[in-house]
Amino acid sequence: MSVIISYFQRDSMVHRLNPLTKMIWSVVLMMLSFMVTNVYILAVLFLSIVLVAYLAKILKEMLPAFIGLLYFAAFFLLFQVFFIPDGKTLFVLIPGTHLLRVTDQGLLFSAAMGIRLMVIAASFPVLLGTTQVKDLVVMLVEKLKIPYAYAFMFITSIRFIPTFVQEMDLIIQAQCSRAHRLDKGNFIKKFLSICPLAIPLMITSVKKAEQMAISMETRGFGSGKRTYLHHDKFALKDWMICCSLFVLMVIGIFFNIKGFLG
Amino acid sequence: MIQVTDVSFQYPNGFTILEHISFQINRGEFVALIGQNGAGKTTLLKQFNGLLKPTSGNILIDQVNTKDSSTGELARKVGYLFQNPDHQIFLPTVEKEIGFGPANLHLSKDEVKERVREAAAEVGLTQYLNENPLFLSKGQRQRVAFASLLSMQPEVMVLDEPTTGQDYQEGIEIMEMVKELHQKGHTIVFVTHDMELVAEYAQRVIVLSEGRILIDDVCRKVFYQPELLKQTNLFPSQIARLVQKFPDYSKRFGQALTVRELYEQVLKMTESDFRCLL
Amino acid sequence: MDPVITVEHLTFRYPTIASASTEAAALKDVSFSIHAGEFVGITGPAGAGKSTLVLTINGIIPHFQSGIFQGKVLINGRDTFETSCSEISRQVGSVFQDPEAQLVTPTVEDEIAFGLENFGFEPGLIESRIQEALHLIGITNLRNRSTSELSGGQKQRVSIAAAVALRPGILILDEPTSELDPMGTMEVFEVLKQLNQQFGLTIIVVEQKINILMEYIQRLLVLNQGSLVFDRTPREIIKEPETLHSVGLRVPPVSELAYLLKKAALYTEELPLTVDEAYSGLQKSLGRRKEEK
Repeated sequence: MSVIISYFQRDSMVHRLNPLTKMIWSVVLMMLSFMVTNVYILAVLFLSIVLVAYLAKILKEMLPAFIGLLYFAAFFLLFQVFFIPDGKTLFVLIPGTHLLRVTDQGLLFSAAMGIRLMVIAASFPVLLGTTQVKDLVVMLVEKLKIPYAYAFMFITSIRFIPTFVQEMDLIIQAQCSRAHRLDKGNFIKKFLSICPLAIPLMITSVKKAEQMAISMETRGFGSGKRTYLHHDKFALKDWMICCSLFVLMVIGIFFNIKGFLG
Repeated sequence: MIQVTDVSFQYPNGFTILEHISFQINRGEFVALIGQNGAGKTTLLKQFNGLLKPTSGNILIDQVNTKDSSTGELARKVGYLFQNPDHQIFLPTVEKEIGFGPANLHLSKDEVKERVREAAAEVGLTQYLNENPLFLSKGQRQRVAFASLLSMQPEVMVLDEPTTGQDYQEGIEIMEMVKELHQKGHTIVFVTHDMELVAEYAQRVIVLSEGRILIDDVCRKVFYQPELLKQTNLFPSQIARLVQKFPDYSKRFGQALTVRELYEQVLKMTESDFRCLL
Repeated sequence: MDPVITVEHLTFRYPTIASASTEAAALKDVSFSIHAGEFVGITGPAGAGKSTLVLTINGIIPHFQSGIFQGKVLINGRDTFETSCSEISRQVGSVFQDPEAQLVTPTVEDEIAFGLENFGFEPGLIESRIQEALHLIGITNLRNRSTSELSGGQKQRVSIAAAVALRPGILILDEPTSELDPMGTMEVFEVLKQLNQQFGLTIIVVEQKINILMEYIQRLLVLNQGSLVFDRTPREIIKEPETLHSVGLRVPPVSELAYLLKKAALYTEELPLTVDEAYSGLQKSLGRRKEEK
């Protein structure tokens, strides 16, 4: 889980790109993957994400996520492939019957679906792996005009994940020391056995949140128009990449419509 | 009572916090565990009731290896007081809160009730039994947590910074309760940063530094090795520091640790001076 | 010169929803004033109203915590009722007890920039203020670190840097060392001393650790059950340890020792606040005694 939302500090050209560029990249890839039905082009799209991860010098960190996605896609393919009856029969899993028949179209279609899922899911960890959340937030607030308070909530929730994990650990340990056991009985009993953990977590969380609010108030949170220390410039290369992405989009749309017409 | 043999502990991320630690705590000892933050004190304490199990080496509690036993079972022998009472309080009355542990031990209702009554009396909460613990003061909540440990009637009590965040008076009161339990035969191990408390209460002091035992001796000996303590950024109690400023202190004052001790030493010394002159 | 903080007949009562114990006022008729450049300690037993007093000075009360407020709090001559909380926070920097809960951003740099950004400073100025604050507190090396990987003492120094970056004239700290070890505690007090002596910052620190407090402060306010019971210098307070004992506090052990010896006519010097003072005092007293004999 943690790999999906972790930022990896590297000195790479991908890291230096404007967060907006990377976000557009991620969105364009997602949209293209919906338009394209050709398995090979989808595979190229996925490989392009792997390439970006490589250029960003975070391929090693991303690999577990990519491999995980591969398993997921394979599972999806297996699940899907038997339910598409159209096309030429390639083979039948149980010989002599018509059960679990695999067709060429079925195989291609399921493979396309599987890779599409991989494309959609793979760009996001690369985006977050090369872009600090605060920079994304600045971009969301500045360029996309999302209110800072919402964007800040997002940053803070990520900041507090380790704190809450720590608190939860302590609470579990404290209750275990009083011979509390979590794993017994039916659903209701299980639910009741969570209360000794959930209630202290809620109470300490409220206290922490209250303290955090006070700490923010005493540093002028929401006192007026805000500025930002880091202002990512939209550089020439950002324009170039965005333009190419735009061209790709147009080509995709063109073929998509043509495909429908033809 | 507690036998630690060549214990190392590594966190899942590979960070080693305890390295080849061995010592033994006998029945009825009163031990302070001191060291900087990050020295491994809390990690070591949590090994005593099986919350953490050694990566290598063994810990025997009353001859039982913690590896063969769950925290729930060990809770009958070892009570653990956490730093922050808010990490455990969740029931609507003090009485239920204190009774939570014994109820988990599947004792009869009467037995639980009896234990709650005793534990509450021990920490002076009898009049608050029907109150909601959330509305009590921080010091009182710490007592609720303490009582819910006492109600398990463990032989060994392990206290992680029992006085942190409390005022002087509350801290002393908690330590006096601990002292009383010790006199009744309980084995006590506590972690603290307050060297005045160590000087006042601990018989034996174990100093941890970077996952190893730096010193393990009676309190007086530990506080009279300031160079060693300084290695791990600790300083003896004020009185011990004052005495050690005198170059010939051992002849003049002995090894005093507390105000009372040094006061008596000085009185004795001046009286003997007086006799000499006569 | 006019005081930077004036508290006049301040009484504050929290709204009585939750518990019966808040029926009593959290602060009762508290009056004092603090001048620029003072280093003031506040202590008192639990529930004495110390934290409430801090919140009335940094404007959280009355702006964010409701309750019954009587009397006045003036910061640089202006009533906190008539000044917005953000304006007050330009003048009063605040640091709290829990290092975890008050760090609101993921990295040290962001944390220090947070207040400056909120007030809409230009990026260039933010940068120079960050450098200044890091330098003042001596944590320039921590700038690019993630806050979650710092020690407790480092976290608290980051919080101080974040407060100081706004260049407030007053810094108020509510038990900043309660979760720190002796070394971390000393680090924090050394930073405060430097801010006070070199840059003339007015510092108010709520603290339970009386030994270290007495070494650093110039003036001690003692609260008990909502009332201000003493307002003296540390030297005056150690002359009458019974008064502190009466509210469940104590003087540092060396001061207590010297006090006892003085009563027995065995200590002739001025009562000590620190181990070093106690050493020279005790040496002189014992020496003098020998001569007399």
